[in-house]
Amino acid sequence: MDAQRLKDNFAAVAGQGDAVALFFYSDLFVRNPHLRDMFPIGMTGQRDKLLRALGQIVAKVDDLPSLVPFLQQLGRDHRRFGIVAEHYPHVGASLLATLRHFSGTAWTEDVESDWNAAYSLVAKVMLEAADENALSSPAWWNGEVVAAERRRFDIAVLRVRPDRPLPYTPGQSVALEVPSRLRHWRYYSMANAPRPDHTVDFHVRLVDGGPVSPVLVRATKPGDRVRMGAPIGTLTLDESSSRDVLLVAGSTGLAPLKAILEQLAGRPAPPRVHLFFGARDRDGLYDLEHLSKLAAGLPWLTVVPAVSDEPAPDESGGHGFSALLGSGGGHGPDPEGIEHGDLPDVVARRGPWPGHDAYVCGPAAMVEAAVERLAASGVARDRIRLESFADAQR
Amino acid sequence: MDSPNLPVVTDGSRLTPGELQSVVFSRAALGRRGYDEDQVRDFLQYVERELVQILNHKAALGEEVNRLRAQAGRGAGGVLAPEDAHFQAVRILSQAQQTADLYVADAERYTRELAHEARLHREAILSDAKGRAEQMLEDAHRKAAEVADAAVRSVPPPAATAPSGPGAPFGPGGASADERRHELEREIAYLRTYSEVYRTHLRSYLEALLRNVDEWESSERASVTGETPGPPLRG
Repeated sequence: MDAQRLKDNFAAVAGQGDAVALFFYSDLFVRNPHLRDMFPIGMTGQRDKLLRALGQIVAKVDDLPSLVPFLQQLGRDHRRFGIVAEHYPHVGASLLATLRHFSGTAWTEDVESDWNAAYSLVAKVMLEAADENALSSPAWWNGEVVAAERRRFDIAVLRVRPDRPLPYTPGQSVALEVPSRLRHWRYYSMANAPRPDHTVDFHVRLVDGGPVSPVLVRATKPGDRVRMGAPIGTLTLDESSSRDVLLVAGSTGLAPLKAILEQLAGRPAPPRVHLFFGARDRDGLYDLEHLSKLAAGLPWLTVVPAVSDEPAPDESGGHGFSALLGSGGGHGPDPEGIEHGDLPDVVARRGPWPGHDAYVCGPAAMVEAAVERLAASGVARDRIRLESFADAQR
Repeated sequence: MDSPNLPVVTDGSRLTPGELQSVVFSRAALGRRGYDEDQVRDFLQYVERELVQILNHKAALGEEVNRLRAQAGRGAGGVLAPEDAHFQAVRILSQAQQTADLYVADAERYTRELAHEARLHREAILSDAKGRAEQMLEDAHRKAAEVADAAVRSVPPPAATAPSGPGAPFGPGGASADERRHELEREIAYLRTYSEVYRTHLRSYLEALLRNVDEWESSERASVTGETPGPPLRG
């Protein structure tokens, strides 16, 4: 197999964009109509995913040590879609047909044999990983919603009981599917450390126009069913470290960090922990009440809430309504200890933080800014673990 | 010169091997051996013509075969070659998929726009309510201050009053006790008016709110029976 030839061929084909993936799926479904039901009606996102995955595979095709783990994860991920061994040759045939179609005269026997070799490798690694995973773990977990609490018009906290134990490490997430939006999977983090009754909490924020989150926030009630894929994710506690800990959570990015917090609470001697919890306005601090109660009972925990889009009390001026509502009368520090400003700035203001481990989760822009501020405040970059939700939770 | 015994050949028919065998050339002139050269030359020309015709014909047939094959391939009578049928199916399915994607995207955009408008509306209602409340308090304050001032003015100035009997413990302190009393009267008048104005505002505002809730309830009852409940009142 000539890796460079393969890469060149793929670059030429992928340059033709969405049409390539469109052809691939149409070819696949014309040849195997029964496969169509495994995909959602709208395929725009699916086509992007295909091209991205192919791009990553081709980029790593001559770097097996990083390609193999990627393919193994891909193989395990595909179990929850109901993909089994007999589907792989169909996919391979349509992939080859697609590449041939878009290569035009550049398609030679050599290129064809390159792709055959590459696809055989991909299928083999994915299948082996899927089979190995099947020995220890189901393809998916069925769950029942046992509690649904709407914390704000667009934020809900759901508690789900899986039909069998769902082993995970705090900080990890699962893909979630609801019956009314079949074949749309969205990732949510478990917001608690594993419990004896195996229930897990999810913090869901409604994303306008998304297929899944509006259903979860607005229309999910106890008794409803969900499906969950295998837990994944690397935003997990470094258990070998006994350093003090910073948890920096933007909005529902709180979920995985709360799980980590619970894990820390289980240690015989927990380290000092600062949990920064930020939102745009006070309304958005949907879990503050619970966190404050928690902090009141745990001397090693400090919770610092922050709002970015509300004026600080002394800026609001006058003897007005807001001042009256803020029971302290509107002077001095906020009665609830709420900081004002962007979360990364608030974290930096309370610093410096030398010798700390930091865990960051939230919107991409916030995570990025927080990492920079943390690094500038004395946290070593290799002591920062992070996760940002991009499109994963719509 | 005699012509050879050539078969009668019309333009349309073919020279056959049997005809070739039956060709007879006359003897050459006396003193010369062999066939008559002219006859042989004629015959050869004839054979050549025939062969050219045959080759032309063959080429034409070849073309005809190709044409028919191609026609069969394109599906004379609506039947497609498997390859072409597949591409056509792929094309049709792709178009259907793109149409579906378009509808999904449109629906998503519409939802987003609706949600965005609803959010703006919500913020407008909140800030309006906040503004009203501020205004209410301002108004109460202003009116109460006016009433308090009026209350103070209506009391005769301290200098004109006689010393208020034995109740005043210290001479110089008498004026200051009066001042204090005025101050308190002023304060009481202020508070009384303030709370009165505030109560009035609050009452009318609450009534308006109740009307809103009634409207909300009746419109909800009128719409399809609740799959998705309305937003809960925040407590």
